[in-house]
Amino acid sequence: MKKKNYKFLIPITLILAVVAFACGKSFLNRPPLGTLNPQILATDKGVQGLLIGAYSLLDGEGVAGDGELSAASNWVFGGVASDDAYKGSDPSDFADIAAVEDWTITPSTGSFPSKWVAMYSAAQRCNDVLKIMRIATGISDTTVIAAQARFLRAFYHMELQKVYGHIVFADESVDPTHTDVVNTDDAGVTAKIIADLKFAVDNLPETMPDAGRVNKSAAKAFLGKYYLYQKDYADAYTLFKDIIANGKTPGGASYALMPHYFSNFNPAQKNNPESVFAAQTSVQDGSSVDWGGDPNGNYGDILNFPYTGGPGACCGFYNPSQDLANAYKTDATGLPLLDTWFNGNNVSDPTTPYVGNLDPRVDWAIGRKGIPYLDWGPHPGDSWVRNPGADGHLSPKKDVYASSQKGGFTDQGSAYWAPTELTANNVDLIRFADVLLMAAECAVQAGDLPTAMQYVNQVRTRAANPTGWVYANSDYDAASATYIKQTTPADTYKIANYTSFPDATYAMKAIKFERRLELSMEGHRFFDLVRWGDANTVLNAYYDRWRAILPLKKNAHWTPNKNELFPIPQGELDKLNSDGKIRLVQNKGY
Amino acid sequence: MRQKLDRLSVRVCTVVICMLISGTLFAQRKVSGTVTSAKTNQPVSFATVTVKGTNVATATDISGAFTISVPSGKNVLTVSSVGFADQDVTIGSGPVNVSLADKVSSLDEIVVTGYTAQKKKEITGAVSVVNVADMKQTPVGTGEEALQGRASGLTVITSGQPGAASEIRIRGITTFNNNNPLVIVDGVRGDLHNINSADIESVQVLKDASASIYGVAGANGVIIITTKRGKSGKAVVNYDGYYGVVTRGPGFDMANPTQEANALWQSKINSGLHVGDANWGSKQYGIGATPVLPDYITPYGAFQGNPDADPAKYDINNNQITKANKAGTNWYNTITRNAPQQNHNLSISSGSDKSSYFFALGYLDQEGIADYSFQKRYSVRANTQFNIKDHIRVGENAYVYYKTNPIFGNQGEGSPFSVAFREDEIIPVYDIMGNFAGTKSQDLGNAHNPYADLYRTKDNKNNTWSINGNVYADIDFLKHFTLHSSFGGVINNDYSYNFNFVGYENAEGNTGSNSFSENADYNSSWTYTNTLTYSNIFGQHSVKVLVGTEAYSSSYRFFSANRSNYFSEDPNYWVLNAGSGTQANSGGAGNITVWSQLAKLEYGYMGKYLLNATVRRDQASVFDPAFNTGYFPGVSAAWRVSQEKFLKNVSWINDLKLRYSWGKLGTYSDVPATNPFNLYSTRAGKSFYDISGSSTSPYAGFYRSNIGNQQTTWEGDVIQNVGIDATLFNNKFDFSFEWFQKKISGLLYVNTNLNGDPLFSGDAQQPNINAADNQNTGLEFNGAYHGSVGRDFKFTISANITSYKNKIISIPGGDYFDGYTIRNVIVNRFEVGHPFGAFFGYKVVGLFQSADDVAKSPTQTDAQPGVFKYADINGDGKIDANDRTWIGDPNPDFTYGINLSASYKNFDFSAFFFGSQGGQIYNQTLYYTDFPDFFKGGIRRDVALNAWTPTHTNTTIPLLRTAGGFSTDQSTSSYFLSDASYFRCKQIQVGYTIPSKVLSRVGIDRFRVYVQSANMFTLTKYNGLDPELQSSDLQNTRQFGIDQGNYPHTPSYLVGVNLTF
Repeated sequence: MKKKNYKFLIPITLILAVVAFACGKSFLNRPPLGTLNPQILATDKGVQGLLIGAYSLLDGEGVAGDGELSAASNWVFGGVASDDAYKGSDPSDFADIAAVEDWTITPSTGSFPSKWVAMYSAAQRCNDVLKIMRIATGISDTTVIAAQARFLRAFYHMELQKVYGHIVFADESVDPTHTDVVNTDDAGVTAKIIADLKFAVDNLPETMPDAGRVNKSAAKAFLGKYYLYQKDYADAYTLFKDIIANGKTPGGASYALMPHYFSNFNPAQKNNPESVFAAQTSVQDGSSVDWGGDPNGNYGDILNFPYTGGPGACCGFYNPSQDLANAYKTDATGLPLLDTWFNGNNVSDPTTPYVGNLDPRVDWAIGRKGIPYLDWGPHPGDSWVRNPGADGHLSPKKDVYASSQKGGFTDQGSAYWAPTELTANNVDLIRFADVLLMAAECAVQAGDLPTAMQYVNQVRTRAANPTGWVYANSDYDAASATYIKQTTPADTYKIANYTSFPDATYAMKAIKFERRLELSMEGHRFFDLVRWGDANTVLNAYYDRWRAILPLKKNAHWTPNKNELFPIPQGELDKLNSDGKIRLVQNKGY
Repeated sequence: MRQKLDRLSVRVCTVVICMLISGTLFAQRKVSGTVTSAKTNQPVSFATVTVKGTNVATATDISGAFTISVPSGKNVLTVSSVGFADQDVTIGSGPVNVSLADKVSSLDEIVVTGYTAQKKKEITGAVSVVNVADMKQTPVGTGEEALQGRASGLTVITSGQPGAASEIRIRGITTFNNNNPLVIVDGVRGDLHNINSADIESVQVLKDASASIYGVAGANGVIIITTKRGKSGKAVVNYDGYYGVVTRGPGFDMANPTQEANALWQSKINSGLHVGDANWGSKQYGIGATPVLPDYITPYGAFQGNPDADPAKYDINNNQITKANKAGTNWYNTITRNAPQQNHNLSISSGSDKSSYFFALGYLDQEGIADYSFQKRYSVRANTQFNIKDHIRVGENAYVYYKTNPIFGNQGEGSPFSVAFREDEIIPVYDIMGNFAGTKSQDLGNAHNPYADLYRTKDNKNNTWSINGNVYADIDFLKHFTLHSSFGGVINNDYSYNFNFVGYENAEGNTGSNSFSENADYNSSWTYTNTLTYSNIFGQHSVKVLVGTEAYSSSYRFFSANRSNYFSEDPNYWVLNAGSGTQANSGGAGNITVWSQLAKLEYGYMGKYLLNATVRRDQASVFDPAFNTGYFPGVSAAWRVSQEKFLKNVSWINDLKLRYSWGKLGTYSDVPATNPFNLYSTRAGKSFYDISGSSTSPYAGFYRSNIGNQQTTWEGDVIQNVGIDATLFNNKFDFSFEWFQKKISGLLYVNTNLNGDPLFSGDAQQPNINAADNQNTGLEFNGAYHGSVGRDFKFTISANITSYKNKIISIPGGDYFDGYTIRNVIVNRFEVGHPFGAFFGYKVVGLFQSADDVAKSPTQTDAQPGVFKYADINGDGKIDANDRTWIGDPNPDFTYGINLSASYKNFDFSAFFFGSQGGQIYNQTLYYTDFPDFFKGGIRRDVALNAWTPTHTNTTIPLLRTAGGFSTDQSTSSYFLSDASYFRCKQIQVGYTIPSKVLSRVGIDRFRVYVQSANMFTLTKYNGLDPELQSSDLQNTRQFGIDQGNYPHTPSYLVGVNLTF
């Protein structure tokens, strides 16, 4: 009978083996790999890391659905939408943006959700900091972390409000299980933004361990700016005066204008005393080739280089407008032509160019034919412009790096169409010159015209410093943003200070013009025009001057009581109202 | 009970004693004989002769003769052969001569139906049995492609690229995520893509509740494949091979440079420009009233004698002197070729009563019509089995392959076939110095030189090696029990590297630095199955019961590294250490497991009332423990009506069976291991921030990467099927007809709708939740007619048709969500009451013919004479987002396959046609070829010649403009839709078998030669390159039916041989 036992032995052993295997519960316990659970993060280091994650979207990049329109520079919403710049490239390349040039934007215009997606994602990252902080243990300084998170949350909502107008404030109570929100409570949103900013002002120290962190002065600058947008000039003025007198960078340097204008756009001189708060960028950090994962270089402006052959790998977008170039004309005394800048020949016109005085800032803001383009040699003219018929003859310059900085402050990414160039140029969200000019507006409202003029002249004085001009036949020094041999200015520069502001009207005109010149191509212009109530007159006059020449301006018209805001993306309306409950109401006129 | 056991032990003892005695009394004996056809009296070669009750078998030779060793105690032989009925004969003294009757039908074929095998006539579910011989006739490079059109209910769509993955659907799209069916190869989850189809023995497709036994994984249907085994008898050597070419096909009909320049001028006129305006003219064609083709495109617009065109002034970066190709470069022809194909398979198989083996070598070398595209695969299969005693069988199936197959992105505006229609025809392939020419000149758009793109891939590598297979043991005990244990799986390792050149000739990205990336991934999965089967017959009752367990595990790891700035672009220099730029890397890993128990009952009464019942319990690691368990029952019943007395005498009905099945299936689809958890991650691009201002050393940060859902569980399918199988008219005609309904509830769905909005969730990945419901209903038919004319001419016509209707029943948080976005335009929408992937946009009712027409029509942004006039769907007098409507459906009404085969004496002929009727394709390629405002570049000849102008109004092509807009290319509209119906000759071949009399002298058993063509012709009205279009993302139903520049199928011509000795 031994045989029989053997016959049963094998099946029984196998059956036992199977049963034993089934008992191993750990077989089904498979934790996800390469991720962290909330408990692990609920520590000081974890929360600090979440805060870094919340900062990291200041550049507008790093989430699915981001892109050029979510750029921190606001080059589309603030620049192309205004009289500062054209879209650039071929008319149908990024045709969504062409709709900003002539205001044929519709709620369905494709890439407009980018800003929405990036800013709300960023706001929720701030909420994650605040939520995890509550369950965390061993946090070194809860208040300072909370103050930074709330500052960032306010900033992201300010951006949303500037662009889309009627928004929802996403605080910690707004999450996938609490969707009971509606975008009709503007006063409530404003109150929450102010509350966050005030909390930041009250709780942030002046000195911070890192140059890129928000400190008390920077929070004040944003609160002041927000008051200015609310037309609360008195409160804004108080804050601006305070930081003009006492404001400091996180490293403790007093706010000041840099001696050379272009230092503000030079990656080698980032986080200088003029930089109140900036979106920090970095390259060669393992992210730049992380395609689809959004590099940390200035991805939002990646298309905004000369078309081909110069710096950058692509694509000839964001060409400064001819109107902007003309605005840099100055009269015999060195003051801008406040009412007549558009008369006469065009600056750098290929056939009959303007001959006369120019504000020296023109050649730092704009690449023009024959003028040294940093150390890339003289701008060659139309070969750096993709479609001169639509894009004019000028190139952007403030985002451009010097040839000698290539490799040091730049890196390669790769898009499917080509290699792409990323830079470590910070995007200044507020710089001290901006503070001075905002303060000047407040001073006018306070009836203090001499102080207003003094602020404006402070900005002009720096621009007038010949050390910081562009020179021909000279080498560019990328360390200091100056030209080494300062013998032959690249054009006839003439700039002087105002000697009097006779009345408030003149003062405001001068201040507005100064903002245009000083802060051109920095993404502020359209929002300023709307804030001043000038968009209707200024933009429609601008379109009338240019519609005969520029194809994309042919039928351009800015419509009051509608185009102050961009439409809320149709996809967002579709999504948020899809269960029949109205959470988003479209902006008027769209 | 006790009595029973005693009786059992007595029996066992008896058997043992008998075995011992027989072993001493009788040695094995050799028996020989011949097999002939009862009808023709001709010898039957290759018939299988098996000793009944054993695995001992052999095959007859060319003259029908056989010799077999019969183990002691056995005295019955079973003889079987294709086309004949099986026959048992008792061994007498002397030779065994068997006369085989023609087969009544194929109903006695054994079909593998999931953990068990059944005779075809006993099947109760909707199971398609693929005719493997027919299937192998299609000369293709992947296992999936061979299945196209071969079974009703199964659709397979591939691109023409060698080695491209296929879209496989059983009974339509049923889920938002992964719709791929489960593939079981020799009992374990396997790989259909890379299998060598020459090794396949059988293919079954489970389409209804019969797949319930696979519970968790069966929701998309199951394809069961068995591979060949050795048969007892002398070693048989088989060689099959073919050689041929795939032709490049017709390509595009693009405008030549003159036509294109004229069209450009027309677009300027249409946009209100005049000669002398600042924007009149082009850098290439001058500023005159008519365009003039230049002699050079670099220097732009230059003519002979231009000083800058002096070759001495050539500078690749700043003056890349390039002559204009005034005749036009046919870019499609430039990047395509007539591509050679060859495939060789050599197999040796044999067996005895102790063991059997099948050993095969395969070599596939398939070049693609696109230059430098190819697939090469070297494979080895070794299947062996050993019989240990009478009651234990152990064996293994092993398949190892090595493949080199660099695949480039199909379906996208940067893919070679897209760039081929986007690159301007006036650009030559090379400049005057032999370097690549391109759009870097001026006013030539932003496309790439497509030939340069392909040329630069020639040294890229993508190599895969893989081991597939299993080891198993079967143990028979206690007479009616069999224990089966199998462990097997797939291990594969992909290794690739590629170099990114700087396209100095292109308009964009011509100044960057080169880079190199190297990637590896390692995937493995295993299945461990144990089943216990009891089978017995009690009088008229046959019973089979199976219980079992199964464990499945799948894991992957990958990493990739990248570096820029290589001093040399020489392939020998391509290692990561040789670069000088930033080093970057990435990687990831994942693991999921499933643990299952299963049971199956097969019951039959009198062979006419049949019942199958299955149940499976699955637990998957991707769900929270509280929700990870699913039960999947299935029941099916069949009534073989023809076995009833009242039909027995109806002579024209040979067999008739009615079937009904109901079952539950499930899927965890592509649910990742992260699904139940709230998780945080870190990633340089997403959460690092250079807060210290260093420019190169950001601080690492965290971000919420996943929102978890603990309650997510299986997607549940309930499927019902009614079927009729019939064999009629003296077995000449057989058909099956199926009606099915598949209701899917709790569809796994990543909510990007309401709650998934960044406003509520930030940028965290949303969990899969069980939300939407969906329903497919459909009909399938397949039938065959076997006929003959005279004695020598035989033919079979078979056809199958599949039709399904898909409807979304509910969607969470609202009624719809948006589908795929291309160039910032949303193309389709998923909405309750509508099918998956339905196209949603503006309906073009015509072109505005005049200013008056514009004024009288509803207000429309960007309206002007010559542009699209959209339908005012809601009748409110203005065209806006509310006027978007349903403009098309990518789901075909039905697909069908028709197979013809015939033989006359030694000649044979076969043809296979596949068709798809109804359904539309959103032809995104028109965005580039019909709207030259979107970058300059190639345009269709018809557009250049036939676009609307105030004097040419009888056309559907809108006027050419310098800038697009809402009323032309910036909206989703019905203009981009095209009828996707087609009828294609997938293969046609004629073969000749050399008479055996001639061959036997040289020791060859069979020698057949054939000529063949694949994709010889296609009937279609589709306005793109190829209507046989797969999704650009096979895992994502949102990209279904959208043509973004597809690698086409083109005719091929081959010669081949089949040789046996």
